[in-house]
Amino acid sequence: MRLLSLHCRAFRSLSETEFAPGPRLNIIHGGNAQGKTTVLEAILYAATSKSHRTNLDTELPQYGAGAFHVRIQAQRGGHGVSIEAHWLNGTKRFKVNGIPQTRLSDVLGRVNVVFFSPEDIELVKGGAASRRRFLDMEISQIHPGYLHALQQYRLALRQRNELLRADRPDPDLLAVWDVQLAEHGAAIIRLRGDYVAELSRRATEAYARIAQAEPLTLVYQPDVLPAEDLGAVLAKMQASDIKRRATQRGPHRDDLDILIAERPARSHASQGQQKTAALAVKLAELELVNARAGEYPVLMLDEVLAELDAHRAEHLLDAIPLEVQCILTTTEQQRRPGRFESDCAYFRIEGGRLEEEE
Amino acid sequence: MFFNSPAVERLVEAFRRLPGVGKRSAERLALHVLGSPEDEALGLSEAIREARTRIRLCSECCNLTEEDPCGVCSDGRRDRSVVCVVERPSGAMAIEKGGSYRGLYHVLHGVLNPLEGIGPSELRLERLMKRLDAGSIHEVIVATNATAEGEATALYLAKLIGARGLSVTRIAHGVPMGGGLEFADDATLSHALQGRTRL
Ligand SMILES: Nc1ncnc2c1ncn2[C@@H]1O[C@H](COP(=O)(O)OP(=O)(O)OP(=O)(O)O)[C@@H](O)[C@H]1O
Ligand SMILES: [Mg+2]
Ligand SMILES: [Zn+2]
Repeated sequence: MRLLSLHCRAFRSLSETEFAPGPRLNIIHGGNAQGKTTVLEAILYAATSKSHRTNLDTELPQYGAGAFHVRIQAQRGGHGVSIEAHWLNGTKRFKVNGIPQTRLSDVLGRVNVVFFSPEDIELVKGGAASRRRFLDMEISQIHPGYLHALQQYRLALRQRNELLRADRPDPDLLAVWDVQLAEHGAAIIRLRGDYVAELSRRATEAYARIAQAEPLTLVYQPDVLPAEDLGAVLAKMQASDIKRRATQRGPHRDDLDILIAERPARSHASQGQQKTAALAVKLAELELVNARAGEYPVLMLDEVLAELDAHRAEHLLDAIPLEVQCILTTTEQQRRPGRFESDCAYFRIEGGRLEEEE
Repeated sequence: MFFNSPAVERLVEAFRRLPGVGKRSAERLALHVLGSPEDEALGLSEAIREARTRIRLCSECCNLTEEDPCGVCSDGRRDRSVVCVVERPSGAMAIEKGGSYRGLYHVLHGVLNPLEGIGPSELRLERLMKRLDAGSIHEVIVATNATAEGEATALYLAKLIGARGLSVTRIAHGVPMGGGLEFADDATLSHALQGRTRL
């Protein structure tokens, strides 16, 4: 997957911006608030119809503008793909190769991107809920059945919890929701297990390449294992659930342990280690997409070098496979001397104006 | 709307409460009614009034009916040993249209839905149990919808009815006849695979 060009008009601070990245590493540098993140956000928006910073599209048009426009052109397995996003007074329209799309979900997957933003460190630092959200998002993209199971599980869970809030819930009534929780919950546990197994090996490799020291391990921690025991566990917990007025066991209590040198990174790792771990997970995601689609997505790294020492920064860039097109932002003017110099393109952004540098 | 009339607004509101009618269609319907000849428009309201006052629930099966008991319950040629439980009258109507079912019905008028405050006592279950206790019914076919609430209701019924030693069956869910597999969604397909039958 290769991004050939981005064009945007009145997208946040970018009034009229063209960006033609090179095939390998692209470094965009500029001071704070000059528009670096916004360039990546525009690409992400065209590729996925969503921003990573907001769910409110009304924040995206340039102050005072009633419309914005983003177009990306990419090359995929020798074919060209273009996506146009046009937002006008609250309605968004997408065209793929010039053809209007009625469903936004049809836009997804035409141009694959993997995006790392500083907030992604929440995956390592945050609570279990942020890791479950990560798993849910990733697996639903690969496995359509997962999203269905997840929705059904959540619905049955809400219904069961509602029953538990009553004063003397009828055990027979609780049990009918248990059947559905057990069925869909077991599917969730199995698919999460499969996914983490695939992810963890790749994340460990990526971390080793960047840190070249202590090992990273990802371990899925299902609240109930094996998956087919869920029904029995729910039944066994019933009395206690009634007392506590909540469903206490099940995949809604799962976690994904991120361990550095066998200790939880959340509580024991340094900032730089946490960031490296989050990056390693993203690089693992990149490898997974490649393994499935036979082509690497475009990798976008916002502000990754901050907090990393010179060694890790250098190793990170080395850890990115040569076939990957990468767009990286930084506040410091960085040059990559040595054997990769010729693979790099440098850009400078100031006040929303982007220019290629020699 | 463009003219400021509480009466028109009430009409639009009334249309909006109908299933599947949004704001735009409600306005279109209201305009249509207002633009049609007076006797036609009043005929509509009269038809609603008449149907609504004449139709009640069958004291046997709880389906909508003008005569009590309803046409199905009073039809001597129907198989009185089988009863098919549906969520709403529309379910019974759909099965009736299919033409191959010869048993009786029972309409629950809803499904279990704790989030909406619907428990067993909000459904027409008591009547169903009385019918079962009368002794002539041997099989209950549960035809609630394939939603989470429909499934939960089916399981609950299975427990209640199974305790009476009657046979309880669930209708199969699967791929529409004459429809290509590629048009069925993933959930339907996986359900259809689970419910496969031996050839
Ligand atoms: N809708 C909008 N219209 C115009 N400008 C906006 C809009 N939304 C945000 N901005 C401004 O765009 C500027 C660029 O933001 P951006 O996040 O891209 O900066 P950045 O270069 O990534 O900075 P940093 O290094 O601090 O992360 C900010 O000053 C912000 O206030
Ligand atoms: Mg930024
Ligand atoms: Zn009847």
